Amino acid sequence: MEPFVFFLPGRLSIQKLSQLLPVESGSRISVEKGEAEEGFLLDTFENDVFQAAKILLQTGQLLLLFDLQTGQLHEQQAAADWKLAGDLEEGPVFRLLADISKLRAFLPIAKVKVKRESGQLLDDEGKTLVRFHALTVSRARKVAAIGGTQSLRGYTEAHDELKQALREYGAVPCTDTVELYRYLGIEREEYSIKPEIPLQPEAPVKESGVTIIKTLMGLVRCNEKGIIEDIDSEFLHDYRVGLRKVRSVVTLLSGIFREEDTVRLKTQLGELTKKTNNLRDLDVYLLGREEYFQLIPPITHVGLRLLFSKLAAERKEEQKKVQAFMKSRGYARQIAALQKLFADSANLGDGPIAHEKTLTLACRLILKRYRKVCKTARDIDENTPDPVLHRLRINCKKLRYLMEFFTPLFPAEEIRHLIKSLKVLQDNLGRFNDYSVQQRFLAGVAGDPKRDFQVLQIAQAVGALTAMLYRLQMEERGKVMENFARFDSPEIRAEFHTLFHPKEDQDEDHSLLQQ
Amino acid sequence: MKIIACYSNKGGVGKTATAVNLAYVSAMQGNRTLLCDLDPQGASGFYFRVKPSKKLKDEAFFSDAGRIAASIRASDYDNLDLLPANLTYRDFDIFLSRMKNRRSRLKKTLAAMGSDYRVIILDCPPNISLLSENVFKAADRIVVPVIPTTLSVRTLEQLHDFFRDQEYQTKKILPFFSMVQQSKNLHRETMTELRKKYKRMLESYIPFSTDVEKMGIHRAPLLTFAAKDEAAAAYRKIWEDIEKKAKIGG
Repeated sequence: MEPFVFFLPGRLSIQKLSQLLPVESGSRISVEKGEAEEGFLLDTFENDVFQAAKILLQTGQLLLLFDLQTGQLHEQQAAADWKLAGDLEEGPVFRLLADISKLRAFLPIAKVKVKRESGQLLDDEGKTLVRFHALTVSRARKVAAIGGTQSLRGYTEAHDELKQALREYGAVPCTDTVELYRYLGIEREEYSIKPEIPLQPEAPVKESGVTIIKTLMGLVRCNEKGIIEDIDSEFLHDYRVGLRKVRSVVTLLSGIFREEDTVRLKTQLGELTKKTNNLRDLDVYLLGREEYFQLIPPITHVGLRLLFSKLAAERKEEQKKVQAFMKSRGYARQIAALQKLFADSANLGDGPIAHEKTLTLACRLILKRYRKVCKTARDIDENTPDPVLHRLRINCKKLRYLMEFFTPLFPAEEIRHLIKSLKVLQDNLGRFNDYSVQQRFLAGVAGDPKRDFQVLQIAQAVGALTAMLYRLQMEERGKVMENFARFDSPEIRAEFHTLFHPKEDQDEDHSLLQQ
Repeated sequence: MKIIACYSNKGGVGKTATAVNLAYVSAMQGNRTLLCDLDPQGASGFYFRVKPSKKLKDEAFFSDAGRIAASIRASDYDNLDLLPANLTYRDFDIFLSRMKNRRSRLKKTLAAMGSDYRVIILDCPPNISLLSENVFKAADRIVVPVIPTTLSVRTLEQLHDFFRDQEYQTKKILPFFSMVQQSKNLHRETMTELRKKYKRMLESYIPFSTDVEKMGIHRAPLLTFAAKDEAAAAYRKIWEDIEKKAKIGG
């Protein structure tokens, strides 16, 4: 029997609810009353809890997680300074939050008062027929209750009676968080690292490029606060993705701006991203901590722990640097100027292709890049030097960015399918690159006299890790040909062909593709 | 799915208390457990405040799986459901005698419910009848409470004789001492003697406890209101032994 998950505008009075039960059934409600306590409603920056149809509350050290899909209320104690799911001990709330997000911090988004009640519907002999619980959440002068029933096997009639009583009381079925948030007046900014940016196929491509950049700059800027406050690693991640994409628009659509502007912007954006390279690298290593431990034998773990404690200390310093930089006047001026520049396409002079139609250029660039990917990849065999594979990776990434920028111009499902078809190969190449970067990083770290890492145990750990990473890199390398073959299927080829070819020269290009 | 029968051919030995408490411990261990009350008096149901089943008359019991499923009630405890008794169960034997495969009907009925439960515990009426033969065939283990007195010893012997006569597996029988009063010489002596004779006699025993008697007042398993009672610990220990012997969970 499905639970009845409900939303009730206003308070839930058990006495009033009891009066709504049918007299002839002889059943009664027993309830363990809780006290209203001050607390917070929590969510991540990306509203992951909200999206998952759950409500996360904290009063003191107690976490309450109400799942609107199952109607269940989970609870768990939390340390005072917890932020990430990983900071919690093993328990029901930990498990659900880890599923929601392992990387994002859960932050207070609204101050509320919470009262929880759990109760039972009992028969005349005191047998439990239905269980239920309710959370009364109040914010400012608004009060609402959410709750769920739990029907017990063999007692469906009683469950129906309670459900009916709740409905008469004014409770409505509730499957998402929207209602509660709206009622309590909690407003959340929508955030996505891949926002849908509306583009016009006939619009001049310079305008479209500036529209994309403008949106991306907004994303970049809204992550700054999280980086400065060091809330979680994803603020920096998204900030960098945003900057990198802005730079890609400038370089991949080169010719929409004047040559000198393109060069200047490319350098400036590159410099800006570089400021956070070290911090991001350290974040990546620290986030991968568990995996590293699993890679190498326990005997070398002492060294790895030492290495990580040193990396953690380094990260702290690096964070301070980035924080100081981002709070600096120079940065504020620079980023504001960039944002202002991209606020209006008229601020930048026209390049040679500025007035080309967006759709035409999109098709041309995507196909060109697609051919480049195929050409490089088809020549790859066991003996191909690593730099060629790196080149392939970069071309794949450029191809994906292009498809992502121009997604709104094409039928959604088809372009998403093509982006997805590229993903396996891209992930494969991405790992190939990561493993190689990590080996270089470790070699650099261990040999750097400034770092004082020349401890025997660290050297052992680095040695073991390097050997493993090399092996993993080779494994990834071995998969590239197979994954490309899968991407290079006749179906995918045909899809690229139909989606990105202007009608008139289809035949000619098709024959080119077959070569 | 494992079927554990609580059975004694003598009344008043703590059989229903055993069924109720073992079912509770099993459920607490995380086993989806069904306590099936086959005793028309419906004492198991009483302890869990579950009212007798009105619809599940004996003929339906052996032929209508849907009606059995509809008669199962959740107890107030996680993982523990109950199939309450019906007064017509006292005529089980008459119905069984008219049926085909009359000694294996119960096994078939329980197999139909098997997928829902890891453990089914049967609270059986105290007699040797067609129904109890069905129990002997269906159960993986038959837990027999024995008060260490002469009369109880005799009934345990009778049970073993019956098993041998009918060529049932005596190794299914797991006797244990119930309502033991260590202060009584007779109890101590009988226990020593019987342990020699029946190697399968469980190590743990249930001491006589007024708290067990109070189950009727609380209408709940002993472990819920007197978890620290010696008898409560003994039920937990006995369930551990049964889990091992019947290979439940592993």
